[in-house]
Amino acid sequence: MAEMWISMGPQHPMTHGLWTLKIKVDGETVVDTVPDLGYIHRGVEKICESRDFTQITTYCDRLCYASANTWSHSYIYAAEDLLGVEVPDRAEYIRLIAVELQRIASHLMWMGAYGPDTGNLSVLVWCLREREMMMDLLQELGGSRMHYNFPRIGGVKRDLPYGFAQRARSKLELFLQRIQEYEALFDESTVFLVRTQGVGYAKAEEMINHGVSGPNLRAAGVNYDVRWAHPYSVYSELDWEPPVERSSIKGADCYDRYRVRVEEMRISALLTLQALDKMPGGSDTYHEPGDPKLISKAPSRAPEGTSGYHHFEDSRGESMFYMAGGGEGRGKYPYRVSIRSPMFVTIPYASKCMIGYKVADIPAIMGSFDPCIGETDR
Amino acid sequence: MASSDWLDLNGWLGSLVGWSMDQTHDLLPDAEYGLGPIGSVNPQSSFSSIQPALEAFFHASIMCTVVFTTLMLTMLAIPYIERKFIGRLMDRLGATTALRSLWVGESGVTAGEWWDQLPFGIGTPVGWVINTLNSIWGNDHELETISRVKNRSYHGYWFLLPGFFQAFADFFKFATKEHLVPKDADRVVFEVAPVIIVSTTVMVFAFIPFGPHIYAANPDLSLLFMMAIFGVAPLGVFFAGWSSNNKYTLIGGMRSAAQLTAYEIPLLITVLGVAVLSGSLNIIEIVDFQMGQEQGNVWNLFLMPLGAALFLITMIAEVERIPFDMPEAEAELVEGWWTEYGGIRWGLMFSAEYMRSYAACILFALFFLGGWEAPFQHTLSDIAFVGGVFTTLFSVIPGLVWVLLKAWILFGVFVWIRASLHRVRTDQILEFGWRYLLPLSLVNLVIATYLRLELYNGGNWDLWVPAVVSTVSLVIFLIYIFDEDEEAARLKSRPYSTQAVVKASPGSHRD
Repeated sequence: MAEMWISMGPQHPMTHGLWTLKIKVDGETVVDTVPDLGYIHRGVEKICESRDFTQITTYCDRLCYASANTWSHSYIYAAEDLLGVEVPDRAEYIRLIAVELQRIASHLMWMGAYGPDTGNLSVLVWCLREREMMMDLLQELGGSRMHYNFPRIGGVKRDLPYGFAQRARSKLELFLQRIQEYEALFDESTVFLVRTQGVGYAKAEEMINHGVSGPNLRAAGVNYDVRWAHPYSVYSELDWEPPVERSSIKGADCYDRYRVRVEEMRISALLTLQALDKMPGGSDTYHEPGDPKLISKAPSRAPEGTSGYHHFEDSRGESMFYMAGGGEGRGKYPYRVSIRSPMFVTIPYASKCMIGYKVADIPAIMGSFDPCIGETDR
Repeated sequence: MASSDWLDLNGWLGSLVGWSMDQTHDLLPDAEYGLGPIGSVNPQSSFSSIQPALEAFFHASIMCTVVFTTLMLTMLAIPYIERKFIGRLMDRLGATTALRSLWVGESGVTAGEWWDQLPFGIGTPVGWVINTLNSIWGNDHELETISRVKNRSYHGYWFLLPGFFQAFADFFKFATKEHLVPKDADRVVFEVAPVIIVSTTVMVFAFIPFGPHIYAANPDLSLLFMMAIFGVAPLGVFFAGWSSNNKYTLIGGMRSAAQLTAYEIPLLITVLGVAVLSGSLNIIEIVDFQMGQEQGNVWNLFLMPLGAALFLITMIAEVERIPFDMPEAEAELVEGWWTEYGGIRWGLMFSAEYMRSYAACILFALFFLGGWEAPFQHTLSDIAFVGGVFTTLFSVIPGLVWVLLKAWILFGVFVWIRASLHRVRTDQILEFGWRYLLPLSLVNLVIATYLRLELYNGGNWDLWVPAVVSTVSLVIFLIYIFDEDEEAARLKSRPYSTQAVVKASPGSHRD
């Protein structure tokens, strides 16, 4: 059959967002791909130059709809580096809980989307049900369901609510049981294995050259987790290890990327349980908002010449914020905010991974990289 | 006719049509009327000459209507089962998509005691069973999700009906939608394709008996007719995919053509096995052979379980349901070959898809599950003292009920498969069809021939034959299920990673 170009997107079930993947097919085999990004570019970086440091948090929440907390925290750490703020220990633990719960919710959203990508709708319903538990917990913390605006410069908005620790423990223990059911549904299904094993190989060195990070890189056997390699927050005080897959010599396939995310959800749940136990002051005490144990005083202006930087383990890879102080209003606004999105480099690489596979493998490969277009286009 | 059933629709209709024709005949004047140069005519005697043809015509057309009505009314249950059952499977509590999903419960709390609302307390035993199973196998952990269980609790039987009549609402929605033909589509073929698909699908039911006396047509070779017509629809699918002038529909149509070709052959060979075993190409005789009126007394399921499994798999592929819904594949092909269709054409084709599923379920019930015979009808009737009760019971219940029940339960299996499996890739589907199903169907044909020629003595089966066949098949099945490669599990090796046909490193295929 003659070769032809198919334009998948911007409205297509495979895309998980708003972008176009142009593929050149020879029959059912993909011979070339061209990703086309930028449909929902909002200019967040530019907007941030005319907002003060508190207001920017809400914009960073909206960078990724599936993983809001990780992005706002990513920003907050950079802003604290810029403003030179020390964060109380208890606030760090609460942030860790919020971020790890968000990571579980984000991975569940990924898993729920990956089910229909490979043809099973039950997975979506199951995963969203478990995600509800995480959303309930996050709602208790932040007050809303999707965009929490939870962290503050110098601390957090409010303490863990009464009974949060008990509810979180029981839900996470239930969730740890449920993960086994997912594994039963996925790993014991031959159909799922033949769809994901040996499909979409991604080599570690190529991914490093392209800047791919996070679970996608760890699936290929590279032990690079920012939380582990350059511990920020209180990750170094907890007992854990990042999950790394031992992939084949050809690189990580879709199954590796699925496995590493399942393990990561488990690790996140265990991290949260640990943090609840080790929290200074105990997880059952409650402090009023504004208590010095929750939030420390922070300057509202960053003078010219200062800069802040932080790299952060997002649900999808390594997110980075670079901020330069001394913008308008005598440093009330940042002069420049630069956001490095992990998916912006991953999507072009994932598109290259599809070459040589079948059309039916496209959603399986693309879905396994967990694209999120909100952060990609910023 | 060997099997007896009081619901003799064909017989009743024959008598009714014959009687009314006789009345018409008597009403006509028995006199010669001169018609000038043409001659003269006697209305009564001329009517007599065409009366048999008229009778046959009215009989057949009314019977077609009856069968079609039965089909349409009972088919309402199919989307209903799909919705309710898959809903249960999807919001289940309990391990994986197990059967325990049917009762929803957690830590002893179930989703509404619906059995208490049944009249005369007949649901009480159901409640005992469900509560016991729930306490043994239900989820046993913290009370966190109980409020969610109660959220979707049972609201009374009136709440079941809206789901049932949803199909009507869907129909009116489709019927009132605008009809759009893509600008560059091949308009004639585009319009003809749904007609081919829907009409041939409905025609399949002309040869499927719902009961021993409920059928539209019963030629001697009804099985052959039926399978031939069943194989026409893929042509319409291919037309639809090609004429829409859309790349997704094109790929979908191509996949459909490839898949249906690959699965039609094993399907036909499997059905041939059924015909060989039963010694007939007539569906009603195939069922009679399993009922043991004059010969044969064992459901074909117990004589060739392999054939039943093959039939199920190939039929799922034929009706394009998950895991074999590659032509539709909404993840990459949007909606496959019917992407460009809308309104009532889409609705009709979609209902044709369900009709094919329904036909597949009924055929499975007829070929392998004894058709309109009640389970263990003869065994139960032969029990001393109480056998008479069963005999009376089975003579009261029309065979139609058993056919429908078996078909619906089988559709539940279809839904179960859909809820628990992923979609297989195109090349894997074809590989599975050509490399495994085709040889297995030939093996099945050999088994059927051997059973028929060597072990069948012309009367009833010796009971050791189905016993041995079933036991051996069950043992093989269990071995296959529990056969885990421990070495591979220990090494975490990838048994399936060699399946990708083209091993590509990124960029290597770039020109």
